[in-house]
Amino acid sequence: MSEAIKKKSAIQSMDLSGVQVDASGAVRKMEGVKNTIFAPGVNDLGNLYFLEVDHTLCQGCGECAHHCPTGAIQETEDGTRSIVDPAACMNCGQCLTHCPYGAVTERVSYVSEVFEKLKDPDTVVVTMTAPAVRYALGECFGMPMGTYVGGKVHSVLRRLGFDYIWDNEWTADVTIMEEGTELLERVTQGGKGDKPLPQFTSCCPGWIKFCESFYPDLIPHLSTCRSPVAMLGPLAKTYGAEQTGKDPKKIYTVSIMPCIAKKYEGLRPEMNASGQRDIDATINTRELAYMIKKAGIPFTSLPDEEPDPILGMSTGAATLFGTSGGVMEAALRFAYEAISGKTLVDPSIKAVRTGKGINKVEVEVPGFGPVRIAVVSGLQNAAKLCEEVRAGTSNLHFIEVMTCPGGCVNGGGQPMDDSILEASLFKKMMARVNKRFTLRKVA
Amino acid sequence: MKKGRWDLSRRSFIKVAGLSCGYALVGARMARESVAAVLDLVGLRQQSVYGADANPKIYALRKSQENPMVKKLYAKDGFLAEGPCGHHSHTLLHTHYKDKSMFIKALKKKGIELAM
Repeated sequence: MSEAIKKKSAIQSMDLSGVQVDASGAVRKMEGVKNTIFAPGVNDLGNLYFLEVDHTLCQGCGECAHHCPTGAIQETEDGTRSIVDPAACMNCGQCLTHCPYGAVTERVSYVSEVFEKLKDPDTVVVTMTAPAVRYALGECFGMPMGTYVGGKVHSVLRRLGFDYIWDNEWTADVTIMEEGTELLERVTQGGKGDKPLPQFTSCCPGWIKFCESFYPDLIPHLSTCRSPVAMLGPLAKTYGAEQTGKDPKKIYTVSIMPCIAKKYEGLRPEMNASGQRDIDATINTRELAYMIKKAGIPFTSLPDEEPDPILGMSTGAATLFGTSGGVMEAALRFAYEAISGKTLVDPSIKAVRTGKGINKVEVEVPGFGPVRIAVVSGLQNAAKLCEEVRAGTSNLHFIEVMTCPGGCVNGGGQPMDDSILEASLFKKMMARVNKRFTLRKVA
Repeated sequence: MKKGRWDLSRRSFIKVAGLSCGYALVGARMARESVAAVLDLVGLRQQSVYGADANPKIYALRKSQENPMVKKLYAKDGFLAEGPCGHHSHTLLHTHYKDKSMFIKALKKKGIELAM
C-alpha cells in the first residue's frame, strides 16, 4: 500500500503547459462523437440538453428512436430526429452509440475545465473512475474489445497530473456495505412502513431519473444509497481531505464514467453533502481518451499501477458493478455472509449473471431461506417489473436496474463499436435514398 | 400476343429475381452482422469483467466486506465509526429523491406522446 504512495511521488506527471485547451463553445470530435466544450453549473440544470441531434448529419433512419427507452427522440417536420424535451430524456445516450452517422452529439464536456485545473498547481485534482471505464478505454488505442486496462488507467491518470488516484471501485465496496445493510433492515422489518420491499438499486442515474419521472410512487422502494461516485465525491472532500491533510475547498473531484447520465447526476442540486459541490466535473471514457491523446501520452506502453489505496483499493465485487447483474452478485456476497454468519465458499454466483432482459432468481441463504432477486437492464424491461411492484404482485426482495442493455460496459459514454457502422451499410444506403426522396427540407 | 397483367418477360423476371436475391442475401448478412456486433460488444466486455473478478493477480479479494480500506473506514476509531447506515453515513452517503412526474405530465398536456 505504502508502495503505491511512494510510486506516485516518484512519477513525473506530464508537462501540460503545451496543451492547447479548447475554448468554451468549441465543437470537438472525441472518438467519433461530436462534443461541445461546455461546463455547466448546478443552476444550469433546468433545461439543459446533454444530447442533441445534429440535423445536418441526421439521415432520418430512426435507429436512435428504436433504442430510446422513453420515446424522447422523435421525428421532426423535415424527417430528421430530435429530442423533444430534456425532461423526457434520461440521458442514457443509447441513441448516440447506435447512430450510424455520428449525428447524435454531446452538449456538455468538462474536458477544458479539467485541463485548466490540472495545470493549476494550487488545485488538488482527484479522480473518481468507474469500473466499466477500464474494460473499454483500451479500445480507443487499438486494443482488442474488452481488454482490461485497469492498471494503465491509474498510470495514465497519474501522468496527466491528477494528484490522487481515487477510485469508484472503492466506494462500490462501500456501497455494498451501505446498500446491503439497508436491504437487511428492510427485510428484518418485513418491508413495512416507509421502507417497503422490494428494494431497488440506486447506482444508475438513468434509472433514478426514470423512476422519479414515470414511477414516482415507487420512490420509497429505491435504496437511499447514493451511487458509488456520489459517495466518493463527499468522502473525498471530508475523509480524503482529512487523510491527506489537504484543504477540502481546494479539492476538485473528477468523475470518469462510461456514461452520459452521470453528468446529470453530478449536477443534481442535492449533491452537496460535503458542504461544497460533491462532484466538480464529469467526463466519460471517450473524453478521457481525447485528453490522453491531446496530452500525447503513449497509452499502450504504460506500466500497470495501483490506485492510491486509502480511497482507491477495491475487490472483485466492486468491479462487477460495471456489468448488469454485478451489483446484485456483489450484494449477495455480502448479504449471504451477513444473514447466515457463514462463509460463502465460492463467491461466483453465476445464476445472477445475465446478458440482457429480465432475470429472476432465488438464492438459498442458510438460516433465512430463498432470497428472491431480479436483475434487469433496459428501461422498458425495468418498467415491466415496476408495473408488478406497483400492482403489489411482486414477492421479490431486491431488484437491480441498469438503463443500458448489459450494464455500464455498454454505456452511452463508452467507445463506439465500429462494426455498428459497418453492419448498417445497407441501412445507410436505404436511409440516404429515403432522405433524398421523402424528406421535406424546410428551406 | 397481348400480355396479361402478371405475365413476365424474361428480362423483367431476371430483374425481379436478381433484386430479391440481392435483398435477401444482403439483408440476412446485415441482420447477422448487427446481432453479432451487439453480442460481441456487450459480451466481450462483460466476460472481461468476470475474468478480472476471478483473477487473483488483479483482485486479491472478492468480497466488499473484506476490503481493508473499507474496514478502516468503518473501524471503531474510523471515519464512519457507527458502521454502515449510521447517522454520519446518512448525511454523507445517502440521499432523497424528488417526484419529477409533473414535467412528464406537462409534456403530455402539450400533446407530446412518449413511449411510457
